[in-house]
Amino acid sequence: MSEADMAVIKPEMMKSYIWLQTADGLIQQVEQEVAMFCPMICQEVIQKGVGSSKNYAISLPQRVNPAMLSLILDYCRFHQVPGRSNKERKSFDEKFIRMDTKRLCELTSAADSLQLKPLVDLTSRALARIIEGKTPEEIREIFHLPDDLTEEEKLEPLKNTTDDPRIRLLNRLYAKKRKELKEREKLKNAGIGEEHVDDRSVDDLLSFINGDSKMTKASKNKKKNRRRKGQEKNAFLTESMETDKMETNGLNSVGLDVEHGIDCQASPSESSKLQDMEEDILARKVEFDDGDMDDEIDPALKEKIDREVEDFARILKIDWPERMQEILSLGQERRPVHSSLNGSSSLRK
Amino acid sequence: MLQKQREASSFEIEMELDKLSSLPGHVIDQILSQLPIKDAVRTSVLSRKWRYRWAKIPHLVFDNQCVPVPSQDQTSGKNKLIHIIDHVLLLHNGPIQKFKLSHRDLIGISDVDRWILYLSRSTIKEFVLEIWKGQRYKLPSCLFSFENLIHLELFNCLLKPPSTFKGFRSLKSLDLQHVTLAQDAFENLISSCPLLEKLTLMNFDGFTHLKIDSPNLQFFDIGGVFEYISFENTFQLTLVSVGLYANRSDGDMFLEAIKWHRFFTNLPHVRRLEIQCHFLKYLATGGAPRMLPKPCSDLNYLSMRINFNDWEENSAALCILSSSPNLLELELLARAEEHNAVEKVTYSWVEDHYKCHLEHLRLVKIAGISGIRSELDFIRFLLLYSPLLERMTIKPASLDGGWDLMKELLRFRRASVQAEIVYLDP
Repeated sequence: MSEADMAVIKPEMMKSYIWLQTADGLIQQVEQEVAMFCPMICQEVIQKGVGSSKNYAISLPQRVNPAMLSLILDYCRFHQVPGRSNKERKSFDEKFIRMDTKRLCELTSAADSLQLKPLVDLTSRALARIIEGKTPEEIREIFHLPDDLTEEEKLEPLKNTTDDPRIRLLNRLYAKKRKELKEREKLKNAGIGEEHVDDRSVDDLLSFINGDSKMTKASKNKKKNRRRKGQEKNAFLTESMETDKMETNGLNSVGLDVEHGIDCQASPSESSKLQDMEEDILARKVEFDDGDMDDEIDPALKEKIDREVEDFARILKIDWPERMQEILSLGQERRPVHSSLNGSSSLRK
Repeated sequence: MLQKQREASSFEIEMELDKLSSLPGHVIDQILSQLPIKDAVRTSVLSRKWRYRWAKIPHLVFDNQCVPVPSQDQTSGKNKLIHIIDHVLLLHNGPIQKFKLSHRDLIGISDVDRWILYLSRSTIKEFVLEIWKGQRYKLPSCLFSFENLIHLELFNCLLKPPSTFKGFRSLKSLDLQHVTLAQDAFENLISSCPLLEKLTLMNFDGFTHLKIDSPNLQFFDIGGVFEYISFENTFQLTLVSVGLYANRSDGDMFLEAIKWHRFFTNLPHVRRLEIQCHFLKYLATGGAPRMLPKPCSDLNYLSMRINFNDWEENSAALCILSSSPNLLELELLARAEEHNAVEKVTYSWVEDHYKCHLEHLRLVKIAGISGIRSELDFIRFLLLYSPLLERMTIKPASLDGGWDLMKELLRFRRASVQAEIVYLDP
């Protein structure tokens, strides 16, 4: 608002008060210089000429209720005085935003609708400070956010430091299955040139997105055969799970991954080329290979988990790339014959 | 039935209570942008509404905070960082306006090329890249196709713009530190960024001639080794800080009074001038005029690093002072020279040549002096010609000769009645 504008208005506005009306009908008058500190009010006065009397009170946006208006006006009243030092202003701001989070949110909303940017900056910074460093549960509680994500959506297989043994189990299962599938794939594609490359890049993406970072190669075939029973059918389903994640849920994996990180062993190679990465990803964490796993899995629980994973596969079947479909069909063929496999035969048909 | 009703009403109550999620989009963007990237991404597990909300934030900052300090070696930290950035970029959904990457483990990786390529496809406005250690990182050519760039900040990079580079049309702020850039590339860069307002160059190599042709430039801060500096068409320049880091001895191409002309002529509106390190020596070598052809009438603040022993530098300083009638604040920092090739100034020049009136000078700060004759002369000179001086602070380099210095100071006459001389401990 320029001096010129003020000069034009002044003769018409003999009073130095501006009339404001909140959404609930309440009308009040406010000192002109205080109210004009809000760009929205300023605009209304200049462009539409309202606010000069009770009958022509400025209608404030709905988000500004009387309580919030009073707070905002306090803010304006302090800051519109030109002579204050930066230190004073900062100190006022610090005290000003000390309020419960509900009011803080309402204040942010109200300030935004009045286009009072400095106050929006102040309150959004305060809200950011509240959110920072807290666990999701804490944040949900403070802000009353509904806890409406499903377990699957929340928990991508990365959070290995959680207390829930089921989740840890799930993580390990998925990882193992992924590994098995890759091994099978690799064996299968030994002769195929181009396709092999394509395939690996998809796998690459999958594991990549699911947070498998550089890992050292470990020999696994022997141990794996023991577990093959009842697991092939899940192997491809695990892949499906991952594809789902790739398409929609990678976010959570990022979030959780970033939160605490997996303990990975450093890769000896520093090259960031995609090829090197693929090799590394094919390897597995030593942790996943521990023999304890079998003992920990309660068969009933395992069945339940398998079923859940199966559901996912069904939902996702449509969106898969062709290659995945092939693998899926492979797995399906094998499902009814899992009981016939023993420890020494290879996974291939 | 009752269950459903209960669920419905509790849902409504939840909606009522959840004020945060109903804030306008740009406000939530603002809140999320002020969180470290880690916390911002974590909001994806809060609730359904928040699941993908973080993916829209326009500001992405990856710094030392975003990867937890790895207990293992640097490589795993680096890999984690690469991992995280790849994830975030891939899952990000929306325009990216600001991207900052500054992490101590980020050395010698070519992943940055990939990320810059990705960014070149969005409408990025601010780009900050700091490579903390290692060789200069060679920027890929796709960086030069950031058309909407407004602020560019690079640390420890090598710039080689492609021949098709037409400049950053919208660039307002450029900050290059520890960079390598060829001479012609530098000139081309500056002249092809017409909206440039702020330029910072520190510790650069590859170019030594600084011909600054920038019509909208307001802020200019350089520190490095150069041979030539001139301003052309820089009438908006109000803040200039020049530091010449190398002590070039005589016999070079400095011996021209024309460099005064090159420097000051096109700075008519300079308000704040800092002459640091050896730059005054550079200006002084070859002689200084008594006064500048045009006074720096807008100059309010002047800071000079000066070797009081050098007669040429003294006259250079006095030249500038004489041409700054509206100076409000002056700072003089003594440069300690290891060896004095120049004769020590032993005669008092104060009454001889210079009578300049620093009518508005209020504050003077002098630091690093040791009480030699020319320093005292200078102080005496300032006190004599500043009628409105309020305060002068003097901070010697060491405790030696402190008492003598103070004794001399006490004797000096002052033009200003209210002048306060404050002696600070070294």
